Amino acid sequence: MLLYEFEGKELFKKCSISVPTNQLVSSSVDQITIKTPLVLKAQVLSGKRAQSGGIVMVKGKAESVKGEVEKLFGKEVNGEKVERVLVEEAVEIEKEYYLSFSYSTETRGPVMTFGEGGTGAEEKGAKIYPVDILAGYSGENVPEELKDIAKKLWEVFTKYDCELAEINPLVTTKDGKVYTLDAKVILDDDGDFRREVKFPERNLFGRASTEREIEARKIDEGDHRGTAGSVYWDLNGDIAVLAAGGGGSVVNMDALIALGGKPANYTEHSGNPPREKLKKLTKILLSKPGLKGLWIVGGTANFTDIYETLMGFVEALREIKPKPTYPIVIRRGGPRDKEAFEALKEIGEEEGFDFHIFGRETPMTSTAKTMVDLAYGNTGN
Amino acid sequence: MAILVTDKTKVLIQGITGKEGSKVALQMQNYSTKVLAGVTPGKGGQEVHGIPVYNSVAQALENHPGINTSLISVPNFATLTAMKEAIEAKIPLINIFTEHVPIQDTALAIAMARQNGVRIVGPSSMGIISPGVGKVGQIGGEDPRGVFRKGSVGVISKSGGMASEVSWILTQAGMGQSTVIGIGGDILEGTTFADLLLEFEKDPQTESVVIFGEIGGTYEEDAAEFIKKTKFKKKVVAFISGLFAETLPSGTKLGHAGAIVYGEKGSYKSKISSLKSAGVKIAKTPDEIPNLLK
Repeated sequence: MLLYEFEGKELFKKCSISVPTNQLVSSSVDQITIKTPLVLKAQVLSGKRAQSGGIVMVKGKAESVKGEVEKLFGKEVNGEKVERVLVEEAVEIEKEYYLSFSYSTETRGPVMTFGEGGTGAEEKGAKIYPVDILAGYSGENVPEELKDIAKKLWEVFTKYDCELAEINPLVTTKDGKVYTLDAKVILDDDGDFRREVKFPERNLFGRASTEREIEARKIDEGDHRGTAGSVYWDLNGDIAVLAAGGGGSVVNMDALIALGGKPANYTEHSGNPPREKLKKLTKILLSKPGLKGLWIVGGTANFTDIYETLMGFVEALREIKPKPTYPIVIRRGGPRDKEAFEALKEIGEEEGFDFHIFGRETPMTSTAKTMVDLAYGNTGN
Repeated sequence: MAILVTDKTKVLIQGITGKEGSKVALQMQNYSTKVLAGVTPGKGGQEVHGIPVYNSVAQALENHPGINTSLISVPNFATLTAMKEAIEAKIPLINIFTEHVPIQDTALAIAMARQNGVRIVGPSSMGIISPGVGKVGQIGGEDPRGVFRKGSVGVISKSGGMASEVSWILTQAGMGQSTVIGIGGDILEGTTFADLLLEFEKDPQTESVVIFGEIGGTYEEDAAEFIKKTKFKKKVVAFISGLFAETLPSGTKLGHAGAIVYGEKGSYKSKISSLKSAGVKIAKTPDEIPNLLK
């Protein structure tokens, strides 16, 4: 999970990393206590805030601050509405650096990146140094005056299970002080269970999470039997996709889009989730208005029970109002698939659902075409 | 001969008394894989499908010194301890089925495995199967015989489901597999495409290799580099997924933890162009793979 700057700075403070005096405001009527000169920073998740007008320097009189704050709240930064502004005392910069810890798929371990700071720091030739995770990091490869802060950043990185802990710019002042002007932290979601600090859900689409996204994520909470809905994104299309498999789901999204299909969502389920989870996920998925089709698709499952998962789907389908009349294309393979298909055929005929059922003998991605043709009425003569 | 899982494979299952652990033990026995022992702390002395359970890896090894492979199927919060035990016992092949292992724990385990000269496959690995010989993990489910067939194609996949799907496509086309490995789709992987290409190059049974990769990370690019550098002699066909992710905001999470792109790095384009430049044939859909292998 990507943190907002102010959240990242909260974590930094916990490991005694020095941050300029600041104040978070969530509306333009909030009383601002920081004195000018100061910096107003829109709290949005997208990068490159400075170029998009999300960072405003206020040097003049205290009275001018209010107007600038108002302007910022009225703005969208890279498509993201500004809902919070971090007001921070201005710091007189002598030198700017880039410092981060992250994991490298090349060394398959943690790395420290250090170099000149500012925009495009990575392109400006910052150097990457592997860190021996067994020994830990103890201030190597940074100038003397930055050793302390680098060690503290390593502490943040490991203590809070981060994928990335980045300071850009990290600055020194004329009086020899070191400050963290920005903070970019990506938390490892798989470390959530042991992290003492919790942060609210957010998404990267520059909008609040939808009701469906929030509900979908609840399905797996406290139930470790397989996954369903932990990853769910609402998209702008009209074909609902109930895809199986972390890998297969992406393969199938690629295939659908390549053929001009417009997915209404991305989600996946895997690891043999029980029937109830599929029921919940299907209900959320099909609550979307204006659907033209539903594609239930997955590869050849290793151990996900196809019968159980498809019956979970059917249980939900029966409860959807109004009754779905759009085409439902199903392609699955794996344990108990034949049993599942027989049951579905019967249910489709008796209860009047427009099922198009394919087994593992039909190539998975070829059913993308079937789905697109049926949904958009391309009869192909 | 196959790789990793051979007729000499003797398995320990860590977490054998759990629901998935006991299920996989039976599956492996039914596929004539030798499962010598299991470990669950506090449950020593029990039996699962006739397999003795011990409190620790050290105890299991004391009683069954022939163990050369461990399958770890424990909850994510207990995985680091389980991995450490197996690594310290120097079990040469450690296959981690557990999903959602914190990246920091994986990094620690990889570093320790290097120090101790052992191999980790996973985390989030569906397992390893050498058709007709044996299997470690859930790959192929209860009856792998319908999907997998013995032959000469090696398969390496970041996705367990796609490992089976690709093998099924090959089997339908009359092409058997030497060994099929689910390496897992996490950001950090104990064993990569390049590591396994090296093994497949040495394996006389393997004549060609299929790679299922996806966006994120650099393992596909590393594989391409490896093929070029070592002048890899066997034919390689790759399928890469995740073009769809480029329509989403940078950093959006998909099905696998590793399938995440920030900017150009790990993008679809970068993977396809480096694999192509190494002479790898790219399949546009999985069902094109058999023709490209011919």
